[in-house]
Amino acid sequence: MSSRQVPRHTRAGIFIHWFNAACWFFLLVTGVALISNPELNPLGAWYPKAVRAIFFGGENLLVAHWLVAFIWLAVWLVYLFWGMNRLVAPFINSIFTIEPNRDIQWMIKKNLQMTVGYKMMARLVKPLGYDGTMPDQGYYNVGQKLAAQGLIIGGLALVGTGFIMFTSKYFLTAADVWLVQWSITVHFIAAGVTTALLILHIYMAAISSEERPAFISMFTGTVPAEYAKHHHRLWYDELEDSKPSEVG
Amino acid sequence: MAKQLGMVIDANACIDCKGCMVACKVANQVPGDNWRNWIKDGAMDRSAKSKKRMVFQPGNCMQCDKPTCVTACPTGATYKSKADGVVMINRDLCIGCGQCIKACPYGARYRNEKLKVADKCDFCSNRREVGLEPACVSTCPTKARAFGDLNDPSSPAGKLYAAQKEEAVQVVNAQSDTDPNIYYLGAPGDKHWPVKAQMPSAFTFWKNVADPGVKVLMGLMGVGVLAMLGKQLVMKNDAPEEHHGEDGHE
Ligand code: HEM
Repeated sequence: MSSRQVPRHTRAGIFIHWFNAACWFFLLVTGVALISNPELNPLGAWYPKAVRAIFFGGENLLVAHWLVAFIWLAVWLVYLFWGMNRLVAPFINSIFTIEPNRDIQWMIKKNLQMTVGYKMMARLVKPLGYDGTMPDQGYYNVGQKLAAQGLIIGGLALVGTGFIMFTSKYFLTAADVWLVQWSITVHFIAAGVTTALLILHIYMAAISSEERPAFISMFTGTVPAEYAKHHHRLWYDELEDSKPSEVG
Repeated sequence: MAKQLGMVIDANACIDCKGCMVACKVANQVPGDNWRNWIKDGAMDRSAKSKKRMVFQPGNCMQCDKPTCVTACPTGATYKSKADGVVMINRDLCIGCGQCIKACPYGARYRNEKLKVADKCDFCSNRREVGLEPACVSTCPTKARAFGDLNDPSSPAGKLYAAQKEEAVQVVNAQSDTDPNIYYLGAPGDKHWPVKAQMPSAFTFWKNVADPGVKVLMGLMGVGVLAMLGKQLVMKNDAPEEHHGEDGHE
């Protein structure tokens, strides 16, 4: 009974997630190695040296970086147009819908629970007038929503500034290069912020034991109904409510 | 001593014919309004003992020992060659951001109108490869420019430099001495270069704000994740059986 599965991710969604993750990883590894300046190196001089050696030179590394970026962008554009109504719009809608009262409480409790456990959390939130239960969450909890918002905004910033940098050698004139200079800096900041978010995202998804069923669902597409009920109650209720019509 | 190509320029010999500028433009296919070298008019010497002649100061990239253009380059596309001390540009690695152009106090760099990358004098690397001197040196009718390894007394520039170390001057800005490798003899005019080397604001913001900011953010996230990992490893899962259970929901 507890092994009843409910659908969570479509095949297209699973594809775009892992395609995106693979590209993102490649772009991060190659992008950091495109910085080679003693005053700016994020990891030290050895890093660009080593990665550039693998690519037989910094100039090839640069081409590899923007080539993968363009493939990534092209696949995303196809996905966005093809899945706009059915997949993308509902996703954006749910990611950007936040209910402050409920969600602030959830964030406080979740952070404590993840670091000091349920019992201690229950004790610590008492002065705030909260009990020890987690407020119900929808298809995504607010932690996932905030992370996704950051990744989407960061991703757009990366695309925009990356495109400006790319155009520099083809279209821009000497009067426009200030735009390229600030694009580099903003590109770096966006990459830094999204990487910080991804450290958390990957920990929650792949390492934290509580979210194991969600991790598996990013391959199989389904989660156990029990998991949906405990972690995404509002979504679970919607699923249950819509059941009869689904059958019909 | 390491090889350091440079020039020793006799300003008194320069007659402002602009031959070096034309020869350079042709030899290096420098497009449109771009120029790799120049001849500045020095102020007229009006002191009593002077013969009231104009002074000229020919110049080009000074292949500095402390090149601010290299400091400003984020990708390492511009670098000081270890082999001969010339500041070079890898055009394929250059992304055309123009930070080096702004960072050079001498205005020696330009954005190549055709190639749309940073460009400048490299002492005619194409000509040196086949054993020729830089075009400006070869063409100069009064032999105002001497070229070669400054540390080798048998090269034309090295010979002059060794012989007249005391008189040879660099033209620098006192606030940003980049230690250039062009030395002047004679009367090159004002030794003080009026423009100070300046990093572009996007670069200083990156270095002073964005870089430490991202590091702090990364550190905070790392500490948070380690705390959660530690808790997961050390503490048993103390989740209540039905943590939504009895109170239900609205
Ligand atoms: C090893 C790397 C990664 C793993 C293991 C991973 C895992 C997951 C899992 C399991 C989910 C589903 C969560 C659920 O169903 O509740 C998910 C969702 C998501 N992933 Fe990833 N992911 C990875 C990398 C990335 C990267 C690189 C990005 C984007 C830059 C990304 C963006 C997202 C977004 C936007 C969502 C949906 C909303 C959210 O959970 O925040 N993921 N990921």
